[in-house]
Amino acid sequence: MNRSNDQSSSISTAITELLSVEHVSWHADNQLILDDISFIINKGSFTGILGPNGAGKSSLLRCLYRYIRPNSGSVKFNQQDIWQQYDAYQYAQDIAVVLQETPTYFNLTVYDIVALGLLPHKGLFTREQSSDRQKIGCAIKQVGLVEKTLQNFEHLSGGEKQRTLIARAIVQSPRLLIMDEPTSHLDVRYQIQVIELAKSLGITVIASFHDLNLASAMCDQLIVLDKGKLVEQGTPQEVITSEMLSNVFGVCAEVSVHSQHNVPHISYFYGYDTHDKTVNQSEHKSEFTHE
Amino acid sequence: MNRMNHSAILFLTVSFGILSFIASLSLGAADISFNDVTSSLLASFSTEKDVRDVIFFERIIWELRMPRAILAFLAGCGLAVSGLILQTVTRNPLADPYLFGISSGASLGVVISIVLLGSTISLVTPIAAFAGSLVAMLMLLMISGRKQSQQVESMLLAGVALSFLFSSFTSLLLYHTDPQAVTAVLFWTMGSFSRAQWGVLWFPALVITSCVVMMLAYRRQLNAMLLGDESATTLGINVNRFRLVMLVLSSLITATLVSLCGGIGFVGLMIPHIVRYFVSQGTVFGILLTALVGGIFMIWVDVLSRIVLENQELPVGVITSAVGSLFFLSLLYFRKNKA
Repeated sequence: MNRSNDQSSSISTAITELLSVEHVSWHADNQLILDDISFIINKGSFTGILGPNGAGKSSLLRCLYRYIRPNSGSVKFNQQDIWQQYDAYQYAQDIAVVLQETPTYFNLTVYDIVALGLLPHKGLFTREQSSDRQKIGCAIKQVGLVEKTLQNFEHLSGGEKQRTLIARAIVQSPRLLIMDEPTSHLDVRYQIQVIELAKSLGITVIASFHDLNLASAMCDQLIVLDKGKLVEQGTPQEVITSEMLSNVFGVCAEVSVHSQHNVPHISYFYGYDTHDKTVNQSEHKSEFTHE
Repeated sequence: MNRMNHSAILFLTVSFGILSFIASLSLGAADISFNDVTSSLLASFSTEKDVRDVIFFERIIWELRMPRAILAFLAGCGLAVSGLILQTVTRNPLADPYLFGISSGASLGVVISIVLLGSTISLVTPIAAFAGSLVAMLMLLMISGRKQSQQVESMLLAGVALSFLFSSFTSLLLYHTDPQAVTAVLFWTMGSFSRAQWGVLWFPALVITSCVVMMLAYRRQLNAMLLGDESATTLGINVNRFRLVMLVLSSLITATLVSLCGGIGFVGLMIPHIVRYFVSQGTVFGILLTALVGGIFMIWVDVLSRIVLENQELPVGVITSAVGSLFFLSLLYFRKNKA
C-alpha cells in the first residue's frame, strides 16, 4: 500500500513540478555566493526572488538559466538535469530569459530583436516562414508595440524596451520565463504593466524583485535570499512579515492587508534604526496567520 | 522596409555594381571606350575567334584590368564582411582587422619574407603574410583568455597591444635593412591590386564566398551576439565557441586579402558603418548589401588609384585612408550638429 502511495505521490509531483533546485552551491573567487539552496517551482506559478543587494538573486537565476554551473547540487527541469541531459540549444527551446542587458550602437529594430526568439527553433539555413512572421507580429501586438515595430530599439523608453524583450520571449514559446529585475529603472505604471504582461502569458515565471509590495501583489510564491542562503520561502502571506523585513533588509516596516487585493502590504518607517524598533515591530505584527 | 524594397535595393546595387565593373575596365592609362569594353566582353561569348583577335586592347581588358577589378571587388567584399563580423562579435562599432593586430601580423610576415629571406618569389610573400596573420590571431586568442565575462575587453586591449608589438618589430627590421627592401615593403603595406592574376583569384573568391555563406547561415546568431553574451547564451549559443569561429573566419579573410593586396585600411570599419546607418545588418539582405557596397566601393578606389596620377599608380591604402578619415570627420561633424 505504502509503495503505491509513494508512487502516486511521485507521479503527482511529476505532473505539477517544473523546476527543482537541489542543494545548489556556487562560489566565485573563493567567495561563497550561493549556499546550499533547494526549492521547487510548480507549473503555472509566478515566483518572486527577493533579497537585498548582493544576496545572490542574479547568481541564483543564472544557475537556473544555465549561464553558470553550480559547484555542487543540481538543477532539474522537467525531472532532467539541465547540465547533463540538456544542451544550451535544447534548453533555450524551453526557457526564455529577459535580462537587463541591452544592445547599443547597432541599429536593431524592435522587429529584429523580437525575431531572435525564433533562434532556438530554427536550423542554420531555414528561412523565416510567413507563419513565423505572423508569430512575431502577434507577439509585438500582445505587448502593444505595433506602431514601434520598425523603430530603433535604442530610441525606446525603458518600459518599451522591457516589453520588446518580453515579446522576444513570447516568440521563443518557452515553458518557463525567467526575468532578472524586470521592473528596475521603470516608473510605477510600467512596473505594473510589465509584470501584468508576464503574468498574462499563462506560463511559469520566475522573476527577481526589488519592489517588495509589487512582488507581494503579483507573486504566488516568494523566495527570500540573504547572504547567499535561502532564508524564507512560501506564499506572500507567509513570507512578508515585519520580522523578515527587519532581519533580511534591515528596515522597520508595518505589514498590513492590502485593501483591494488581500495581500500583505508594507508601509516603511523612515528615520528609525532597526534595532531600536524591534519593540514596535511586535506591536505591528503581521495580521496573517501562518499555517 | 518590406521584402519588395529589399529586392529592389539589391537589384539596383547589383546593377550599379555591374556598371562600375564595366567602368573600371574602361578607365585607366589607356582609355578604352565603354562601347569597346562591352563589345569585347560580348565578343568573348562569340565563337568567331577572328572577331576577338582583331580587337587590339583585348589583352588590356582581359589580362590586366579584369582580374584587377575582380580582386578589388573581392577585397572590398571581404574587408567589409570581415569588419562586420568583428564589430558584431565584439559589440564594438570601431572594430576592424587593423585593431586586432591581424593586419600588422601579416605585414610583419611580409617584411620577414622580404628582408630576412630576401624573397622575390611571388608565392613566398603571400604565404608569409598569411602565416603572420594567423600567428597574430592565435596570440590574440591566447592572450584574451577563456573567461567569458572579460573576453571582449581583453580581446580589444590585446589586439591594440599586438598591433603595436608587430609594428615595432616591422620597423626594427626595416631600420636595419637596405633601402630597396624598404621601398618594396612600403609599397606592400600601402596596398595595391597590381598583383592580380587570373591564376590567384580562385583563392580569395573561395575564401570570401564560403565566409559569406557561413555568415548568412549564422545571421541569427550574429544578431543575438549584439544583445550581449548572457542573452546570447540564453538563446542557446555557445558564445565562446561562436566568437572563436567568427574570429577565425574574419582572420582568414584578412590574411587572404593582405597576402594578395597588402594593407588596405578603413574599409572594414567604414563600410559596415555606412550600411548599418540605413539597414539592419543581421539579415540576409543586410549582409549581402554590406558585401556588395564594400566591393563596389573598392572597384572605384582602384579606378581612382589608376587615374589620379598620370602614368603612375597611387597605392590603394592611401585613398581608402584619406576617404575613411574624411568620412569619420564628417560623421563627427553631423553628429555634433544633430546633438
